[in-house]
Amino acid sequence: METGETFDRARFDRLAAEWRYVITDMICRAGSGHLGGALSLVEIVMTLYYRIMRIDPANPRWPDRDRLVLSKGHGAPVLYVALAYKGFFPKSWLPTLNADGTRLPSHADARTVPGVDMTTGSLGQGLSAACGMAIAAKMDHRRHNVFCIIGDGESNEGQNWEAALLAAHRGLDNLVAITDYNKLQIDGFTEDVLNLEPIADKWRAFGWETFEADGHDWDDLYSALTSAVAVSGKPAMVIAHTVKGRGNALIENRAESHNIKVPDETTYRQFMDALEVKDFTLPY
Amino acid sequence: MALHDEEMRFVYGETLCELMDENPNVVCLEADLSKASGTNPRVAARHSERFINVGVCEANMICVAAGLASEGKIPFCASFSCFASRRVYDQIAISVAYANLNVKIVGTSPGITAGPNGGTHMDFGDLAIMRAMPNLHVYSPCDAYELRAVLRHMAQNYQPTYLQLLRQRLPPIFDESVEFDPHSAVVLREGTDVTLVSTGYMTQFTAGVAERLASEGIQVELLHYPSVKPFDVETLVRSARKTGAVVTVENGSVIGGLGGAVCEALAERHPVPVRRLGVPDRFGEVASEEYLLEKHRFGPEHIAEACRSLATAGRGVGR
Repeated sequence: METGETFDRARFDRLAAEWRYVITDMICRAGSGHLGGALSLVEIVMTLYYRIMRIDPANPRWPDRDRLVLSKGHGAPVLYVALAYKGFFPKSWLPTLNADGTRLPSHADARTVPGVDMTTGSLGQGLSAACGMAIAAKMDHRRHNVFCIIGDGESNEGQNWEAALLAAHRGLDNLVAITDYNKLQIDGFTEDVLNLEPIADKWRAFGWETFEADGHDWDDLYSALTSAVAVSGKPAMVIAHTVKGRGNALIENRAESHNIKVPDETTYRQFMDALEVKDFTLPY
Repeated sequence: MALHDEEMRFVYGETLCELMDENPNVVCLEADLSKASGTNPRVAARHSERFINVGVCEANMICVAAGLASEGKIPFCASFSCFASRRVYDQIAISVAYANLNVKIVGTSPGITAGPNGGTHMDFGDLAIMRAMPNLHVYSPCDAYELRAVLRHMAQNYQPTYLQLLRQRLPPIFDESVEFDPHSAVVLREGTDVTLVSTGYMTQFTAGVAERLASEGIQVELLHYPSVKPFDVETLVRSARKTGAVVTVENGSVIGGLGGAVCEALAERHPVPVRRLGVPDRFGEVASEEYLLEKHRFGPEHIAEACRSLATAGRGVGR
């Protein structure tokens, strides 16, 4: 088992920037992909895998590991990067994202990717699966936690709210959900497409202990997540306020960031040049 | 009381209880229809810690089951067939079949057996749509003994599966010794003149039809398919080579289900005349089984007539 890493702000900042560089490169190589929603998740996923979750990269199916369901499965590139950097599989796989015959498809795939705990991609289903995993843990008297990241656009799906009812009804305090609240979905701002506010009140009304955090602030995130893990008797939700496309000036906080098209070398250079920090060497 | 004197849902509940006794990983899920499925009070009382009622949330039930299955559990989730198939098709497609998780979906009151609930709850398409899904097995046992064998097989084999569960009492076709192999059709009776292929609810009528036609000098070969997918092509082709004509009958639409599977196989392997009996391209309605069998012309009389007609045609004019 690997325990949480010692937090070093400079190192984490640098690593987050490197992940954004790698994710942007992977998606650009693939020619298209969900860049905005992957970049908004960088600090969340890194905090989970580096500070919160108990994992064993040498044994991806270790029964007592903490689980993560990336219900917004299109955020898979950041999950793949996290797993590769943690050593679940070689970093040389990363540039194969979406390539013919790849093990790394656009949406998170537990069948082909060591460390992915649930296959996702059809929005609204992951929180239900996470409930099933949390119920299984309770049945087996295991003490691990199940984390689940849902999108704000994804929160439009009614099935999330079915799962919300069940998790509260069964007191699944081993379940921690995180909403990547970047305020954007494919067709525009969530407040214009389908307003979620007051989102925290909704989760509280559904019986969840609900926290809010700056989804790009290491301390705020860590504090909210550790508080969420400590909740007893009910499930916990962390509303993480994020910026879609964070760290890439070309797409930051723009609806167009959802699925970028990179038809040629010039566009590729534009996306790489737009990164806030870019003095990295690709690890593959 | 013999097993076949019980309602099929009772057999489901009892067998699930036994499977849960034997295997701590078997889990029962319901979406507020547990009494209708036969798991309440049996399973709910005896295995309360593994009985999960999610409320009227079928989509959630399927994906909760997927999460349980990803942890090594063997969840059986039941609802009316209309809700267990078409309502949750994408949940089954992605979280179960595509993810290849060991979830067992049980669709109760299939086809015309949804009677009193009528057209909104009467689903004729489940065999067709579930059969079209990769990675998924589709079973429809015809009596209490076969149901029990099928359930045992499901619990013992890692395989995403959709099961049609008839809720009512059905006459026995088999006995305690019946075995289930999803890759094998069952030859219930050998014959030379016409092949009659059935599954699930309709199989109870075929022996009577064959008896009657035998008295007229027509020898019907009876094939029962407890598994519509995988589909045992070899047994069908062997029979079709012998008889030269095939009648199919199913408790559902003639589009894409058992009749569809038979036609696909024969068209490619051994084309012979086929007559598909079942519900034509229609929605259901509030009605008795007898009324619907008559209205859509797939009751015993119509099966006999179709067999007679095809057998006669196959032998040439004059018989």
